[in-house]
Amino acid sequence: MAVLEGKSVSKLFGALPAVDQVDFHLQQGEILGLIGPNGAGKTTLINLVTGIYPLTQGEIFFEDEKIDGLKPAVIARKGIARTFQIVKPFPGMTVRENVVIGSLFGKGGIERKTRTAFQEADRWIEYVHLQDYRNASVDQINLSFRKRMDLAKALAMSPTVLMLDEVMAGLNSKDIEEMMALVTRINQELKITLLVIEHVMKAVMGLCHRVMVLHHGRKIADGTPQEIVRDDHVIEAYLGERYAKARK
Amino acid sequence: MFIDHWQLTIEKWLLFLFEGADIEVKKNRLIIGIIIGLGFMALPLFIEGYWIRVASSIFMYAIITGALNIIAGFAGYAAFGNIVFFGIGAYTTAMLMLRVGFPWWSGVMVGGVLAAIFAVLVGLPILRLRGHYFAIATLGINRAVEQIALDWGRFTGGGKGITLPLPQMEIQNFYAMIYFIMFGLLLLTILANFLIARGRLGYALRAIRDNEDAAEASGIFAPTCKVIAWTISAFLTGLTGGVFAYWFSFIEPATAFDIMIAVKAFVMMMLGGAGTVFGPILGAFLLELISETVWGQFLTLHMLILGIIVVGVVIFIPRGILELFRKKISLASLIRNVRNQSI
Repeated sequence: MAVLEGKSVSKLFGALPAVDQVDFHLQQGEILGLIGPNGAGKTTLINLVTGIYPLTQGEIFFEDEKIDGLKPAVIARKGIARTFQIVKPFPGMTVRENVVIGSLFGKGGIERKTRTAFQEADRWIEYVHLQDYRNASVDQINLSFRKRMDLAKALAMSPTVLMLDEVMAGLNSKDIEEMMALVTRINQELKITLLVIEHVMKAVMGLCHRVMVLHHGRKIADGTPQEIVRDDHVIEAYLGERYAKARK
Repeated sequence: MFIDHWQLTIEKWLLFLFEGADIEVKKNRLIIGIIIGLGFMALPLFIEGYWIRVASSIFMYAIITGALNIIAGFAGYAAFGNIVFFGIGAYTTAMLMLRVGFPWWSGVMVGGVLAAIFAVLVGLPILRLRGHYFAIATLGINRAVEQIALDWGRFTGGGKGITLPLPQMEIQNFYAMIYFIMFGLLLLTILANFLIARGRLGYALRAIRDNEDAAEASGIFAPTCKVIAWTISAFLTGLTGGVFAYWFSFIEPATAFDIMIAVKAFVMMMLGGAGTVFGPILGAFLLELISETVWGQFLTLHMLILGIIVVGVVIFIPRGILELFRKKISLASLIRNVRNQSI
C-alpha cells in the first residue's frame, strides 16, 4: 500500500521547472532513496510534500488523503516529519528542549502532557545515543551530534513517514556507519517509512530498498539500487554524456 | 450546546498553552519571592510622595518591559511599536470616563480588552512579516493610531491633550492606590511570563524565535502562537496605559504613543535578559531606578548614557545581566561575547 503518493507533481520557480511532472509513491515500510545531481529538485520535492512551497500542478496524497495546499504544521501533525539538509536546530535551547519540540507539537502532541512529552524526548535522545549531551546547548555539540539531534526531534513527532535530507553529508566514515545503522533500526524497529535524499552512494546502496532518480526536475529512473547504478540515463546524468557514450 | 463546545475548545486551548512542564517551584526561591513581595506591599508605610511615584513609575516600566518580553523576548518579534497598546488603553480609559461616565476601573478593563482585540486584528496580517519588516510595520501602526488621536480632536482633544476627571480622594491615598494597582499588574505580568516560559506556548515561541521554518515543520502553528503572544502582551500594556491615564489625569498623543517608552523598554529587556522571566523586570528596575535617582539630574547627559548602555549591553552581555549570574563572570567571557558579535 502506498502511504505517500504524488501525481504529476510540478513546481515552477518563475519559468524554471524545479520539479517537472513527477509521479512518485512510497510503499508502507520501505526506504526509498532519492538521488540526482545538485539542483535536480530533490529538496524541492520534500518541500512540496511538507507544504513549504505550494504546488504549481499535481496532487499529493498521504494515507489516501489529499495534503497539498495544507499548512506545513498541519502536514507535520498528520505524521510526516523531516530533517533539513542544512541542520536547522533551535540554537537558544538545549538538546533536550530541541527534541521536546517534536513530542510537544508533532503527531499526538496536543494530547500529551508536557511532562510526558519530556519523557518521550528523553527516550528518543537515548535512541540516537545522545543522552550524555542532553543538557548541552546546541552550539556546544558538533555536526554529527546535531544531525542525530535533528533525527531525534523528527522521531519524537511520531511520524509515519520520515524524510531525511542528506543526513550523511559532512560526516566521517565512522559516523556514516553509525548513521546507517540508526536509519536501518528506525525502519525495522519503528516501522517508519523513509524517504532518503543522499549523495553518499555507500549509504544509498546499503540502505535503500528502491531508488528514484531526478534530473533537471524530471524523474529519469526508478528501481532497485542495483538496477539504478547500471541505468544509462543515470550514468549520463551523473557523469556526463561523453562518459556514457565512451562506456558503450 | 454551541456555547459548551466553544467553552471546551477555549479551555482546552488555554490548558494546552499554559500547561506547565515543571511548575514545582523551588522552595527557597518561593520564600525569597514572598519576602520581596511583602516588602513591596509594606513599602508605602515607609515612603511617601515623590518616592511612591518613583516606585509606581518603576513598576509601570517593568510591566511594559515584561509585556514586551512576551512577543520580543520569547518569540523574537521586535515590536517597537508595542506602545500603541499603551496609547489605546490610555485613550480608551480617558474617553470612557469623560464621554460615557464610566468609573476609572471599568475604563481600564475595556482599554486592556480593546488593545488585545486590536492586537489580534493587526497581528493576523503583520505577524506574517519577519525581522525588520515586522518592526517597521509596528512603528507605522503606532504612528497611524497616534494620528487618529491627533486628528479626531473633537472627541480626543487632539494635540492639546485631554484632562481626565480628578480622583475624589486625598492625594496621598490616591498615589498609594496607584502604587498598589501597578504592583498588582506587575505581579500579573510576572505570572504571565512565568506560565508562558514553563508551558507549551513558551516552547513554541522560542522555537519560532530560533527558526520559524523548522518550528512549522515540527508542527507548531506559528501564526496562531504569535498572535496569542502579542494579544497577551497588548492586554497587559493596554491595562497599564489606562492606569497611567488615570494616574496623570492628563494625556496627549505625544506622551501616550511616545516611541521612547518602547525604546527604553527594549533597553531594559536586553539589559536584564530577553526571553527570561525575571530578566526584563530586573532590567526595568535597575535602569529606571538609576535614571530617576542619578541621571535625572543631568537632563542632556541622560540620553547619552542611555545610548552608551545600549551599545555596551549589545556588545558585552547580549543575553543580559541574568546570564552573568548563571555563568561565572570573567573578562574572557565578555571578550568572547565581543568576538562572537563580529562573526
